[in-house]
Amino acid sequence: MSEPHKKNRLLWLVAFALLLVLPLAVNNYVQFVVNTMLVYSLAAIGFNVVIGYLGQLAFANAAFFGIGAYAAGLSMAHLGLPYPLALVAAAVVGGLAGALVGLPALRVRGYYLAIVTLAFGELMRWMYVHADSVTYGASGFNVPQVVLFGRGLNETGKYYVFLLVTLLGLGATRFLVKSRIGRAFVAVRNNEAAAASTGVAVLRTKVVAFAWSGLIVGLAGGLYALLNGRVSPDTFGLSQMLMHFAIVMIGGLGSLAGSIIGAVLLTGAPELLRNFPGLEEIVFSLLLMAVLFLMPRGIGGLIADRIPGARERLYQE
Amino acid sequence: MLAQLIVSGVAVGCVYALIALGMTILFRSTTIVNFCHGEFFMLGAFAVLVPLQTLGWGYGWCILFSLSLLFVVGMAVERGLMRPLQHAPHISLAMMTVALSYLFKGVARFFYGREVVALPPLLAGDPVFFGDVVLTPQDMLIMGVVLVVVVASYLFFQKTEIGKVVEAASETPRGASLSGINVPLLRNLMWGAGATMGALAGILIAPNTLVYPDMGGHMLVRGFAAMTLGGFGSLPGAVVGGITLGVVENLAGGYVSSALVEITAYVVIIIVLLIRPQGLLGNWRRARV
Repeated sequence: MSEPHKKNRLLWLVAFALLLVLPLAVNNYVQFVVNTMLVYSLAAIGFNVVIGYLGQLAFANAAFFGIGAYAAGLSMAHLGLPYPLALVAAAVVGGLAGALVGLPALRVRGYYLAIVTLAFGELMRWMYVHADSVTYGASGFNVPQVVLFGRGLNETGKYYVFLLVTLLGLGATRFLVKSRIGRAFVAVRNNEAAAASTGVAVLRTKVVAFAWSGLIVGLAGGLYALLNGRVSPDTFGLSQMLMHFAIVMIGGLGSLAGSIIGAVLLTGAPELLRNFPGLEEIVFSLLLMAVLFLMPRGIGGLIADRIPGARERLYQE
Repeated sequence: MLAQLIVSGVAVGCVYALIALGMTILFRSTTIVNFCHGEFFMLGAFAVLVPLQTLGWGYGWCILFSLSLLFVVGMAVERGLMRPLQHAPHISLAMMTVALSYLFKGVARFFYGREVVALPPLLAGDPVFFGDVVLTPQDMLIMGVVLVVVVASYLFFQKTEIGKVVEAASETPRGASLSGINVPLLRNLMWGAGATMGALAGILIAPNTLVYPDMGGHMLVRGFAAMTLGGFGSLPGAVVGGITLGVVENLAGGYVSSALVEITAYVVIIIVLLIRPQGLLGNWRRARV
């Protein structure tokens, strides 16, 4: 193994160790914020698969997030599933929803796809409100407490669950986008006709990307159900969607590291301004504008330009 | 009952048509889908409310102030934020309008918090009966104003020289600049016009609903639905789509279930895009992204 590789591996190990001992250094509130960052990181990673790697302007991410949260929460509330199985349910249902939303993407694209996927999200929200015998209607429901070793999970416990799931999701997505399938995503993004002519099955590739995105984001939704202990329809509306969009744009399209950086920044900054109505949104928007003007490819792109080793292989214009 | 539902539907639909018309004008001149159009709508209503409440201006002056202010805001947005990014990918432009929508909402919330206020009706008076159909003066005013705006835009785009120039500039910007048309200036003016139309819709509907920072979100979706239904990018389509959407919404609410009113726009979007993506009047033109 070459020297720089060894150094990199060491860096990762140190970072991982720091993440493991982080709960020792923070209080409950900060722990909650960090947990939120982890959940949004995973959601952004999943979103980036479709919007960054596949290059499709699909805005169903908040819908997948909600579907995952409802799948996890309801399977615990109605079927009494233990939390790990509820997470599996969230991933499976999210993946199916992703494949379903991938179908219109075969027919419409661009703004049309953006709008039809936004509509899908609102349709889901409407269903949560009106299928109230199953979903508890407009006011939502409390997710049953997750008990581990006879005690309810506290913020620190949740942190380790989130860390584990997020790292697994990140690792699996990284593996996927670096594989033949992931390269097909990028080929479709860059030029569908060219991709098809070199033997990429465009339709199948799109559906796979959407299904994977739905799976990861559904998983993130399952985490979200545990994070807040409460699931309600109004959480998964337009503002949730725009939040995910902003995270990915600021972090950088087609950059997994960027997804995480964006999530950390955008979930952290509003927390600081929580007590000033409106200020949160103003700062948020100025941050977005600054990124659009100064670093059009997001923070992930900026890092890729400056630090050669950090370049993600598929990242380009 | 049927007639009443249709007529009230047309009144609501007129507002949607106005929203969609403003968005379409922007879309045609800049190929941008404006995610902050709902906020133009919201700002328009606030720009009437603030001088009315705090400065005690007359209603008419407040409306004039609001429309001119939003014209300037629209132009400033184009000049300051959109033009510098015009060579950026479309997704960045879409993101910029999203950022703007946050900014405007944030500013409104900063001053008006979670307050919800109503504007006094523009036309007071008792509802008028036409046979079985009841119409409030406000509804009639909405229909009248929208009719005037629609006719005026039709005449502008079809009959006047400058309207044709604007059309040419949105069809082929490069060709238009080559033949000496000042395309950036036209875009600038069209942003102003689009924002003003959004504001007008907000002023018209604010007495029926309420004025609050988040009032734009609903309308944005209605605007999308109206544009999609009529044919994305088509000016007559925006009007037809808006009015049709209003009527369909009202009929679904009246005959099936009132729970359907809020969801009609979304169902319409999904059905139209999957079955007839070009909409009622549009020709199938791929948006550049």
